[in-house]
Amino acid sequence: MRGTAQWLHKMAADSEPESEVFEITDFTTASEWERFISKVEEVLNDWKLIGVSSGKPLEKGVYTTGIWEEKSDEISFADFRFSITHHYLVQEASGKDGKEELVEDVLPLSMQDLLCMNNDFPPRAHCLVRWYGLREFVVIAPAANNDAVLSESKCNLLLSSVSIALGNTGCQVPLFVQIHHKWRRMYVGECQGPGVRTDFEMVHLRKVPNQYTHLSGLLDIFKSKIGCSLTPLPPVSIAIRLTYVLQDWQQYFWPQQPPDIDALIGGEVGGLEFGKLPFGACEDPVSELHLAATWPHLTEGIIVDNDVYSDLDPIQAPQWSVRVRKADNLQCLLGDFLTEFFKLCRRKESADEILGRSTFEEDGKEVADITHALSKLTEPAPVPIHKLSVTNMVHSAKKKIRKHRGVDDSPLNNEVLNTLMLFLFPDDADKLTDGSEARLSTSRNNPPPESEEYNLYSQFKSAPSDSLTYKLALCLCMINFYHGGVKGVAHLWQEFVVEMRRRWEKNYLIPELANGSPDLRCCLLHQKLQMLNCCIERKKARDEGKKPYTSDRSPSGSSGDTGKAVDRSGGDYQKETEKERGEVGKSWESWSDSEEEFFECLSDTEELKGNGQENGKKGGTKEGNKESANLKPEGRLHPHGKLTLLHPGEPLYIPVTQEPAPMTEDLLEEQSEVLAKLGTSAEGAHLRARMQSACLLSDMESFKAANPGCCLEDFVRWYSPRDYIEEEVVDEEGNRVLKGELSARMKIPSNMWVEAWETAKPVPARRQRRLFDDTREAEKVLHYLAVQKPADLARHLLPCVIHAAVLKVKEEETLEDIASVKKIIKQIISHSSKVLRFPNPEDKKLEEIIAQIMSAEAIIARARSLKAKFGIEKCDQEEEKEDLERFVNCLLEQPEVSVIGAGRGPAGSIIHKLFLNAQRMTESSDEVATMTSLDEELKRSGSSDERRLNLGAVTDFPPPAGRELILRITVPRPAPYSKPLPQRMYSVITKEDFRLAGAFSADTTFF
Amino acid sequence: MDEDILTTLKILIIGESGVGKSSLLLRFTDDTFDPELAATIGVDFKVKTISVDGNKAKLAIWDTAGQERFRTLTPSYYRGAQGVILVYDVTRRDTFVKLDNWLNELETYCTRNDIVKMLVGNKIDKENRAVDRNEGLKFARKHSMLFIEASAKTCDGVQCAFEELVEKIIQTPGLWESESQNRGVKLSNQEEGYGERACGGYCSML
Ligand SMILES: Nc1nc2c(ncn2[C@@H]2O[C@H](COP(=O)(O)OP(=O)(O)OP(=O)(O)O)[C@@H](O)[C@H]2O)c(=O)[nH]1
Ligand SMILES: [Mg+2]
Repeated sequence: MRGTAQWLHKMAADSEPESEVFEITDFTTASEWERFISKVEEVLNDWKLIGVSSGKPLEKGVYTTGIWEEKSDEISFADFRFSITHHYLVQEASGKDGKEELVEDVLPLSMQDLLCMNNDFPPRAHCLVRWYGLREFVVIAPAANNDAVLSESKCNLLLSSVSIALGNTGCQVPLFVQIHHKWRRMYVGECQGPGVRTDFEMVHLRKVPNQYTHLSGLLDIFKSKIGCSLTPLPPVSIAIRLTYVLQDWQQYFWPQQPPDIDALIGGEVGGLEFGKLPFGACEDPVSELHLAATWPHLTEGIIVDNDVYSDLDPIQAPQWSVRVRKADNLQCLLGDFLTEFFKLCRRKESADEILGRSTFEEDGKEVADITHALSKLTEPAPVPIHKLSVTNMVHSAKKKIRKHRGVDDSPLNNEVLNTLMLFLFPDDADKLTDGSEARLSTSRNNPPPESEEYNLYSQFKSAPSDSLTYKLALCLCMINFYHGGVKGVAHLWQEFVVEMRRRWEKNYLIPELANGSPDLRCCLLHQKLQMLNCCIERKKARDEGKKPYTSDRSPSGSSGDTGKAVDRSGGDYQKETEKERGEVGKSWESWSDSEEEFFECLSDTEELKGNGQENGKKGGTKEGNKESANLKPEGRLHPHGKLTLLHPGEPLYIPVTQEPAPMTEDLLEEQSEVLAKLGTSAEGAHLRARMQSACLLSDMESFKAANPGCCLEDFVRWYSPRDYIEEEVVDEEGNRVLKGELSARMKIPSNMWVEAWETAKPVPARRQRRLFDDTREAEKVLHYLAVQKPADLARHLLPCVIHAAVLKVKEEETLEDIASVKKIIKQIISHSSKVLRFPNPEDKKLEEIIAQIMSAEAIIARARSLKAKFGIEKCDQEEEKEDLERFVNCLLEQPEVSVIGAGRGPAGSIIHKLFLNAQRMTESSDEVATMTSLDEELKRSGSSDERRLNLGAVTDFPPPAGRELILRITVPRPAPYSKPLPQRMYSVITKEDFRLAGAFSADTTFF
Repeated sequence: MDEDILTTLKILIIGESGVGKSSLLLRFTDDTFDPELAATIGVDFKVKTISVDGNKAKLAIWDTAGQERFRTLTPSYYRGAQGVILVYDVTRRDTFVKLDNWLNELETYCTRNDIVKMLVGNKIDKENRAVDRNEGLKFARKHSMLFIEASAKTCDGVQCAFEELVEKIIQTPGLWESESQNRGVKLSNQEEGYGERACGGYCSML
């Protein structure tokens, strides 16, 4: 114990006179002490750490590749709380039989581990593992982070408790106590085996005493510690690792330039383009490179390393390994874009509040007028007022916006705005030149439709990457970042809404939206735009269809006659409502005298001959089936296979039908609420069916018109074939014939199908009442768009932005091919598709997604930085290039990578050059430093270590930032006739501290 | 009365026209079989409270029309559903063949990817069976669905089908808690939870 006391003393002397943080009053009370020991024993028992430890010899590198686990408990000494933790490498359960084979006097595993050289200098491990090479140990440390055991007597007391507990239990796992302040990482400990004991001791100093800076000095203390009187002593085995740090990358400028916005607006190709997200780190994502030069197997006497001379030239080291340090809080462009956009979601203000002006407010009257008009619009029945002067409203709104928004206080200047609008609506440019709505081919960089990538939108509930919605999202994202933040966003949105109105009013289709009903897989905003397009399409078709025979209106309702249109529609509206009142209860009825309410079907290829006549005829009589057989067929699409009508035997025609009304998800939601409210009673169910039967009725009417003389059976055969049951029967003449009849459920008297069939009149789709009121729906959409706040928009479009960001990361990854990023991308996609499909995703979840995207971006940026540093692009030897690429990929994914060929391999020589260049830079700046502060220089050279290295030939590398040494030997201790046992000492010297960690074993039987 | 109701669940019934969706629902809610039931127009809606493992759950069940022409309306009812019953007619192979289409539609429009699916082969009381039970079983296994054969007419399997579906929904972490409850927990649970349930998302009850 003499040695221990001495070491502890040294350590205590070094620590500044710190007042003890606490006072354990009962620390020396025998009973408390005994209780503590028995508590320790109890825990060791619980964890089954008692008895002979067994295991296989350690494989190479298993400390890095294996899994480490820990188990914790709490114990106390009087009222002072300690945590006790078992750290261990998870190993395959070694069979019980192995234990039986063990011979009595085999050394505990931990003692064997002290000598094992397969896991020296593990890249990531508990410090006790690094210092002592242990696979398993228990640590007792103060439970509270700022508690500490400071006085020497207390340290000794703890240590003897440990010793007693180990002795009592026969536990062979080393047990450590942490003493002094936690940050000092001071441990003392003990390991016991049958007749053997290892003491773990430690010295920790702020400054390195001169004699310990080199191998020969350290060998001296090691030998004196062992105090073995054997002569000659067997040679000490030595492992050395020197670590060099490179922070200076001056010769390689970080290639990322901040994007140039002015260039962008000027139309030049800058770092950024509208519709594209930026990418990459704003600073070098790799801050340091650490090179470890290792001599893993030296024997005493082979090399010289002393006060005046050293053989330890890193270039000559047999092993090199490298690790890189990431820059902390790396700033990346894509991540910044996303984060800023996401912040928009939390803004509360409306667009008007943000722009600091009130577009409509001043004219409160007009607002009232519009809402009034809207409330009329929401009344039931087809309201033929689609000529309500939207034009007027838009123009005055525009004027007002202009008036209120002086050129200067407009957040987006005209140039930016024009560029944006042209980007969003490229068809406008086309129109200027040739006056036609050119179909666009903007799918430059888009993944091909049907590809997995293209279909991401349905997983993210965003919008297709070639859609207007998606582009809008990207523009807003950029505006938010570079052009006045939320103000710019509000401004662009207002312009966008005005454009939407203009398009509706002028019958210009909105570009870059898929045709047809709103796609429920997309975000609501996208659906709304699609809905508007449906309205425009129908209005346009109607207006154009009327052109030949309605002379009183120009097709696109140009501003010239808008006033007239208002009057007209107002008048019509009144007329219609009156009529409606008169016809309450006859909900199956349709009218024939107002052309406005008819669906004029352009796809109907039939000639429009004799329309007027027929209208007249039909209006007069209420025909039954038989009479209508005489009618001229109308609105046929094509024959239905070879089917013929049951009675006249004519071919059965599929009629042209009205398209069902397009719906956005919120409308559908509303509708389902209404339907649910009808309840579950029979009447409720009946009403519900009736409410949904408009489409059925319309189809029946079309069918009747196309197939004069048809009956319900005919209709059912087309419409619901399973409800027409055919059977082979034998007739009177003995022939087998097919006999068909309606299914039982269709034959129920006065069921809704029969009822509808009886009400239906033969009217072709184009003269039926419209199922879909495009004017009303368009107005609703435009109103919806107008009231969206920037925050609403950001929430609507965030899925698109995330979608775009994922595509961007994917695209960039493809260039670099990094496995870990591929994995992250997969995770982001599966995570996003879970989060974004919900109506109101939680902010925390969204933040997580954004963080994942940022981490992928950072890894790619790091890869690029490393590739540039290692000159992979410049390398023209194919094989070498591949090796380098592999090396860089390993650096990204592993904590430490060994350099093949050490200093002589391709990667090694590049690293050498990097250091060399950095050294030259420092030298030249040192000269300057010498002139300015001689004092500094003198102080610096005070370290003999540095001086020695600088004096020697080795100037390619800076002085090592860390020197680690492991000395090992097996000798009898304490007496020459004792059992030969493992002895080990580890030392590390860095700028800040010096540590010796010794494990000295002694024979406890023969001494 | 409402206080002891654990949750309200949205259930959807889909499948080809005439396979007996409305009849199954009527059997379940009113315990009757009405041969005079009209073909559904659009969607219909029924409510029933049941008790599974001592938990009361209120079911809001949407019965959709299988008829092609109404299908443009129905996808909206997929939104937010926690469970879906996919029905085919064991005496009509064509209704079985079309199941894939229905699953596609479900995949496209339902908002949750952990929706509990049950396959029901209906009309087993009839003589002229055209789809073997094993085929149904195989299909269900392939698509991680629950499976049962039933008859709305004789009542076979009907109650069981609904109960089993509800039980599964309640067992699925995060699927049934009200939207306002912490969804954070919900989602992280789902991540591990779903694919690895004891029965692998597949159970047979006959
Ligand atoms: N034998 C027998 N017939 C049944 C059974 N279930 C339904 N049916 C009959 O099958 C026909 C169709 O049943 P419905 O319940 O209306 O079918 P559905 O699936 O709701 O049809 P749609 O509403 O058109 O989608 C009716 O005539 C029922 O009487 C059953 O289990 N056994
Ligand atoms: Mg039905």
